[in-house]
Amino acid sequence: MTEFGLRLAISLTQIAAVMGIVVVTVLILTLAERKVLGWMQDRMGPMEVGPYGILQPFADAIKLFFKEDIVPAGANKLLFTAAPILCLIPAFIGFAVIPWGPSWTINVNGVIVKPFVISDINIGILYILAFASLGAYGIILGGWASNSKYSLLGGLRSAAQIISYELNVGLSIVGVLILTGSLSLVKITDAQEGWFWDWFLFKMPAPQILAFVVYVISSVAETNRVPFDLPEAESELVAGFFTEYSGLRFAFFFLAEYANMVLVSCVAAALFLGGWHGPYPGTLMELVGLGSWSWIESTMWFAVKTYFFLFLFFWLRATLPRLRYDQLMRFGWKVLLPIALGNIVVTALAVFFFGT
Amino acid sequence: MSSTTTSKRFNLFEWIKTITFYEILVGMKATLSHLLNYRPVTLQYPHEKRTLPDNYRGMLALLRYDDGTEKCVGCDLCEAACPSRVIRVVSAEVPNEPTKRYSKEYYMDMTRCLFCGMCVDACPVDALGMTREFEWAVYDKRQLHLNKQQLLAIGDRSFPIREKRLELQHPNVAFFNVAFKHVPPKPD
Repeated sequence: MTEFGLRLAISLTQIAAVMGIVVVTVLILTLAERKVLGWMQDRMGPMEVGPYGILQPFADAIKLFFKEDIVPAGANKLLFTAAPILCLIPAFIGFAVIPWGPSWTINVNGVIVKPFVISDINIGILYILAFASLGAYGIILGGWASNSKYSLLGGLRSAAQIISYELNVGLSIVGVLILTGSLSLVKITDAQEGWFWDWFLFKMPAPQILAFVVYVISSVAETNRVPFDLPEAESELVAGFFTEYSGLRFAFFFLAEYANMVLVSCVAAALFLGGWHGPYPGTLMELVGLGSWSWIESTMWFAVKTYFFLFLFFWLRATLPRLRYDQLMRFGWKVLLPIALGNIVVTALAVFFFGT
Repeated sequence: MSSTTTSKRFNLFEWIKTITFYEILVGMKATLSHLLNYRPVTLQYPHEKRTLPDNYRGMLALLRYDDGTEKCVGCDLCEAACPSRVIRVVSAEVPNEPTKRYSKEYYMDMTRCLFCGMCVDACPVDALGMTREFEWAVYDKRQLHLNKQQLLAIGDRSFPIREKRLELQHPNVAFFNVAFKHVPPKPD
């Protein structure tokens, strides 16, 4: 019982820490997106709340918290309430298997703990994909339960889009899995140790550059971001599946979208860019003789890679217009899918003939 | 390389541009250069205001002479000139001075005004002026129905330097408020 209690306490601490980091990142993202988008369009972004508008996320949170919670007439109350939660939980639960730092183990009173990953399960990436697909239910149910044609259209578009692009995400990852021979994100990250050409993006015998491009495009589509934001196309569908939502439930959808962005960025960093490994072997902290502090450098590298992807999301949003629906489907099925399948074949052959 | 598709010839150069997302990268370079050479065009409006042009047509106002008397002679020409029927003038004789008239009441419905400046052009005695005030947003639109006292107050705060009476400027300038020999002049 004491060991169980200790494990529970450690796990809850880790969960609280990771949730805290994710929520803080989402708060930063809401401001950073508006700022970066503004700067790219010769605007200033939010400037009123606090110096240079840095308190804007808190103002938004307070506003959403105190807004009236409207349930439209004719809406299915149960599903209308459940949809934002169904959207939010899968977005947050995926962080359980993301390794944030070096795969050390700590012995706490006889309990072996990995401090930088909540749970190192051996089907890690499959778990993330499974829950990311569950998130689509929240969107579809939210669109259906609102009893509004805009919401329904947004939900239907989202269903088709997420099914199409989930496939590409899954297939683009397979190359990495062939190279590693494991589904665990910790093992995948550990396999990329060394110089930056040992990252799976460049690693011989089968560089995953095409898979990386397919993954990035598909993950942008999967998180419903510009240029694939058809489910919430504000110029056609008001706000898509969350047209009828207000207050805290809208905040849940909002939070889920940004948490999904962080999640796909973390997965991209862990799978293709070496995770918490720097572009050089070992860490600089060890060279200076501060080996026990090298986790700071490792987590910094992970954060840098993740934030680069998040910046890429904003960058694409500032640059590209929205795709037409048939373009979206044709691109997903007739371009990305063959590339991903071809990548699997090439990687498999390369590993079979030239693998270690 | 000269195989043809149904509609257009296969162009290797164009094909390479397509598969490398060349056009998208050009666009992303453009947005990034705007981010790096960040020069916002925004004016932080309530905190900093733009310089208004000299002939800015803002809020309308009624003016006074330097001795505090109203310029308006109640001729109704502004009412006739106004294209959106903003102005309503009730003209009356000046008590004890039967040759002179003044506007007993003067109303402006600023909800309809389109700031064309025709009333100002029409006024024969320059009794109307356009100030440089433009922040007239109100919560109740009835506050935009202005009477004579309010219009005079706007003129008082916007035009602190006032003209002399017409008959004191030049004998030939005044057409309406000319001083008559048989009427005793006002105390100066």
